[in-house]
Amino acid sequence: MAPGEEQDEAQLRKFQKELSAGTVSLALLAVLGASGDPMYGYQIAKTLERFGDGVLSGKQSALYPVLRNLEAAGLLDSSVEPSDAGPPRRYYRITAAGRVALRVRAAAWRATRDSVDAVLEGTCE
Amino acid sequence: MNSERLPTTIPEYLERLRRSLAGADPALVQDALYDAEEYLRSELAENPGRTEAEVIAAVASSYGAPDEVADIYRDTEVTVQTALRAPPPRPRGSALGRFFGVFADPRAYASLFYMLLTLATGIFYFTWVVAGFSTSLGLSITIVGIPLLILFFGSVRVLSLVEGRIVEVMLGERMPRRPLYTARGRSIWQRIGDMFTDPRTWSTLLYFVLMLPLGVVYFSVAIGLLSIALSLILSPFALLPGVHMNVWLFGLDVPAEAPWLLPLLVAIGGLVLVVTLHIARGIGRMHGLFAKHLLVKTAQYA
Repeated sequence: MAPGEEQDEAQLRKFQKELSAGTVSLALLAVLGASGDPMYGYQIAKTLERFGDGVLSGKQSALYPVLRNLEAAGLLDSSVEPSDAGPPRRYYRITAAGRVALRVRAAAWRATRDSVDAVLEGTCE
Repeated sequence: MNSERLPTTIPEYLERLRRSLAGADPALVQDALYDAEEYLRSELAENPGRTEAEVIAAVASSYGAPDEVADIYRDTEVTVQTALRAPPPRPRGSALGRFFGVFADPRAYASLFYMLLTLATGIFYFTWVVAGFSTSLGLSITIVGIPLLILFFGSVRVLSLVEGRIVEVMLGERMPRRPLYTARGRSIWQRIGDMFTDPRTWSTLLYFVLMLPLGVVYFSVAIGLLSIALSLILSPFALLPGVHMNVWLFGLDVPAEAPWLLPLLVAIGGLVLVVTLHIARGIGRMHGLFAKHLLVKTAQYA
């Protein structure tokens, strides 16, 4: 790989990381908000996986610390239940505060997306 | 990225992850291993037709290879720590600034509160361990004591996790947020045996027993210093009419005979208060390390 390409690659990765910082927590809240039942880490990761590309397709190990983080912030609630597949699983469910945060953040995301799209219009491709 | 071949079994994967995280905070290592094991076991259960090696090969691109996972955890830990904690007070340049800066450090107040709390928790832990251990050991002559002993050891593990949370919140020392898994594929009897041979269980018992004397010392030091500081600071109130307060110093009734000494006493009281906060912060830091050494499994990060 040429040094220039390598640098581009690194910059793209940095950009994706910055993008994912806030969006991943929004996506996790959305997944749990849409599901009626509590879900465990693996299930959540697999659900997100179905929605394809972009920053959400990053390594799924990155989701667990974010889940724990959202729980610490009171947006999620969790309980441990035994499973026959192996170790006991931690099930997450969204709290009332989480639903409020989801609504507010979704609105903020849509506004951001629309304005970024508007600015981007006609620039690329 | 190293060109090592991928691990073929789950214990091997976890071992590789543990090695990649060498030198990281042991509590972080424990969390990372917990999460990885949950994911791998679930993936294996979802795909009954595939072998462990195939599942791990598939997981390497979705969940991440051990060294990638290690990087992610190291990375997010830094972000989470800076986002969740109270901002550390700006380091002050001058020696005087550093000395009085302790007033603005939330960690010092939290440690002081922890010192007061340890009397209560120390008594509880000590009683639990001494009563539980002697009752169940004594009854072990009959058959009743054996299940009691096993239950008691289980309860000690839960208490250890609880104490870990208290220590992390108040003293700022990172402690595990998840219970430890025992090795997979062992029968319940082997696991019970593990509980007794695990040095961590015994060091946890030692910690709980030591919490009583430590709690008494911490509590006395905190109460003693606080009451000296506060009574010195409040001594000028003796001058107010209608307040019945005596300030005696070396046989001298200070407000009546030498009221000019009162500002000096207030200054000394303030000084004692600052020193108290320094002591609290120092003890908090030491106790955090002590708790970590006795409560967190060293084998996790060795």
